[in-house]
Amino acid sequence: MPRPDRQPPGGHAVPDPGSRTTDPGPLGGRHERPDARAKVAGSTRYVGDLALPGMLHAAAAVAPVASARVAALDTAAARAVDGVEAVLTAAEIPGANLVGVIFPDQPLLVTDRVRMVGDRLALVAARTQEAAWQAARLVKATLEPIPAVHDPVVALAPGGPLVHDGGNLVRTFQVVRGAAGRRRADVVVEALYHVGGQEHAYLEPQGCLAIPEGRSRITIIASCQCPFYVQQAVARVLGLPLAAVRVEQAPTGGGFGGKEDYPSEPAACAAVLAFATGRPVHFVLPREMDMQGSTKRHAMVIRHRWGADRDGRLRFAEVDAVLDAGAYAGISTVVAERANVSAIGPYDVPSVRVTTRIAYTNNLFGGAFRGFGAPQVTWAAEATVDRLARAAGLDPLEFRRRNLLDDRRRRICTGQLLRRPVLTRECLDRAAALAGWDEFHARPRAADAPTREGMGIALALYGCNLHHGGQRLDRSSAVVILQADGSVVVRVGLTEIGQGNLAACQTIAAQALGVDPAAVQVWQPDTTTVADSGPTVASRGAHASGMAILDAVRRLRTRLDPVAAELLGCRREQVELAAGRAQVAGAPDRSVAVAEVAATMSARRIEAIATGWYRSKPRRFDPATGAGEPYEFYAVACHVARVAVDRELGVVRVEEVSAAHDVGRVIHRDALEGQIQGGVVQGAGWATTERLALDHGRLVNPSFTDYLIPTSADAPKVNIAIVESDGAGGPFGAKGVGEPALIPAAAAVRNAVVEALGVEIDTLPLTPPAIVAALGDAHPFAWVAMEEEHEHASPETVAPGR
Amino acid sequence: MPERITVALTLNGARRSFEVAPGRRLLDLVREDAGLIGAKEGCGAGECGACMVLLDGAPVTSCLVLAASADGHEVVTVEGLARGGALHPFQEAMVTHGGVQCGFCTPGIAVTGAAVLARGGDAADRTRLLAGNLCRCTGYAKVMEALDDAAAKETADAPA
Repeated sequence: MPRPDRQPPGGHAVPDPGSRTTDPGPLGGRHERPDARAKVAGSTRYVGDLALPGMLHAAAAVAPVASARVAALDTAAARAVDGVEAVLTAAEIPGANLVGVIFPDQPLLVTDRVRMVGDRLALVAARTQEAAWQAARLVKATLEPIPAVHDPVVALAPGGPLVHDGGNLVRTFQVVRGAAGRRRADVVVEALYHVGGQEHAYLEPQGCLAIPEGRSRITIIASCQCPFYVQQAVARVLGLPLAAVRVEQAPTGGGFGGKEDYPSEPAACAAVLAFATGRPVHFVLPREMDMQGSTKRHAMVIRHRWGADRDGRLRFAEVDAVLDAGAYAGISTVVAERANVSAIGPYDVPSVRVTTRIAYTNNLFGGAFRGFGAPQVTWAAEATVDRLARAAGLDPLEFRRRNLLDDRRRRICTGQLLRRPVLTRECLDRAAALAGWDEFHARPRAADAPTREGMGIALALYGCNLHHGGQRLDRSSAVVILQADGSVVVRVGLTEIGQGNLAACQTIAAQALGVDPAAVQVWQPDTTTVADSGPTVASRGAHASGMAILDAVRRLRTRLDPVAAELLGCRREQVELAAGRAQVAGAPDRSVAVAEVAATMSARRIEAIATGWYRSKPRRFDPATGAGEPYEFYAVACHVARVAVDRELGVVRVEEVSAAHDVGRVIHRDALEGQIQGGVVQGAGWATTERLALDHGRLVNPSFTDYLIPTSADAPKVNIAIVESDGAGGPFGAKGVGEPALIPAAAAVRNAVVEALGVEIDTLPLTPPAIVAALGDAHPFAWVAMEEEHEHASPETVAPGR
Repeated sequence: MPERITVALTLNGARRSFEVAPGRRLLDLVREDAGLIGAKEGCGAGECGACMVLLDGAPVTSCLVLAASADGHEVVTVEGLARGGALHPFQEAMVTHGGVQCGFCTPGIAVTGAAVLARGGDAADRTRLLAGNLCRCTGYAKVMEALDDAAAKETADAPA
């Protein structure tokens, strides 16, 4: 049975080489993802499926405590384990002992000071994985505990334990807009939100394979989002030039940000071991080590003071946010930049004061995670907006309608003017309609039922691509090769991590060349085939690689079109490409197959390879005041969640989420829907069950039994409304969607739960103890929640080792 | 305890025999001894379902099954789901419905899905039975669409 809107009319599903009509191309269609067939057959080789003769297995000896001085390190017992080929400490790193992405604050191997659980003390290479981990456990570290700090707010107060000698404040960002408008506010809301972190829980653990060529150069095959980050990290620890480090991205089993910054660490470990032993080194992390050691979504503490007038118009917003960086800064500054300018949401507020501070603590360190600080501040902003709506006696939809940025009020809190169309109202209306907002609220609900239903809404204004602060990375490279048979090779620098970048790049190239998607093969990135294209983050994969592909196709056509024109007997300006043929504009019956043009180019030895380049236009932005243009253009997302809450058990069930997304233009419809469905469910999990349980900085639930991500039985039904437009965007007008798909989801769930229970809840996730605590002392299980409360600790000294 | 023990089993329809250490997991036998890398190790603790194989037709997390206990039994991995060179109908439906994203959980889902189809039942049963396979990319919607579609086709194709 054909699926609705599976193909655009006259699409490419049935290739018709003799087509004489103008083909709309594959853009926006649902053609088969190029990676799907091999993956579903089980024949795709991930890094854990690779093996080489003589290959060794790596393991790391890690600190079991969060804060200590390293008094002594004894590796004798580890070296004595049968099968062990090398045990390395910091002194044996050939280059710099450093893995910090932005700040030089994180060593690959600690020498004097442990700052978090999981800090590496020594590395092992052995002939079997079992021997490697056995030896790692036998590395004897004498650790002298020193005071630790686990609360980011406490960490910023004077007199507490210092995580780094320079102090615990990493950086401060601000947005200052308008005069103080507080006097004109009739309703003022104050709130303090504790927003928890999140584990990425990609199904494929972190892993890589390092293959040395003597001590002169090295190949790394890695599960990663950012091969160029891995290249830089490996070059640094080995003391090699970048050109001597080749990083090939392996098929990657999920990332969500967790394979942005972190894969540089296992890669650097494997590289050092490979150079020391002269043998290939495989480093695949066991799940527990992966969850314990890798980066997490940042926990944030967010204080709000917002005011509105009696007509329900926002007058001012004050936000004081503290981001828990954990023990190392990593990319916390970049996360904080996005959080800082996203803290007000898509609302028109005349007076804004946002302060975002980053604090070092002895917790697991934060890193990239889908949304990059925006989900946390959106959770808080949408909670406050609902509070204000209630205080003003307005429906949450109506309150938002009175305050949304739109085509008439287009200035965001940084002063930047949004380009039209601003699709906030469309997204709100479409999501509310899909959810049946009015019908739901018109229906009577029993006030004494054990299970309470609620519906909540949240919006997000998403700055597409990299923030001004990261704009130096916002470039991208592509190579397009027309083969003699008319098939096409495309290489890009951005990665497929499950989000559909191969399908997007294939679609974009096929659309631009007027060929069937099946004629285009997009290969996974390799740092020796394309130039540094920056990271695969910020929902920029399809944008950055797509723009570079379009540039490469443009350049290729300067050589292809003259050949086609000659074969067609027309001028080169008249050549059009569609449905696998070159044709004369306005006379589509005069055409020749692209394959024939390719064969002619090959026979004449005409250069059939072209490179493409993309870089975003320079923007103005003042980091001190937050004034200017943090992002090039924006996307809007609106989610409406319907929940059922078991009041006694405190269990939240997210029944349905209706998601409206301003995407500019659809590139590949199945990939787009998959991103929205997956993002919503990941956001719903974060909202409800995904609790990072830290005890003195140690994750006590590093398993899928104890850290609960949604299963098929938990996932809400996701309704989708796609809003397309001809506004600002990337290739063919497309905007990023990977992150907007998650950002408002948890906030919508929170607002739905609050409506269901009639009490405010200001901690995420909404686990049963949090729900029970919010319901108050009268609840028979209130004592459970009281115990949980104690985990928000003041300064503590480190617990003794295991 | 002997150093090695013999495990004779039917693997994807072929009689095979392996000499393994007593503690070896079925997952290691399948991946390393038989070279069938479709089953993945996502957790090593029976939590994620990426290593699912069929043991006498029932889906099991092969990281929790001793290879020795498969002696005399029938094991089918994702590589054995194809029928006559074509993908299993559920695998084919996963492709056409866009149910494949990063692909790491996909072989396990294909194996469980095939068993769920063989078992029969309604959409709610299918959703519940697939809950032992974690997926972080898709939110399960297109996976369940594919499974429902394959189930509908099986019903339609079944003799009246």
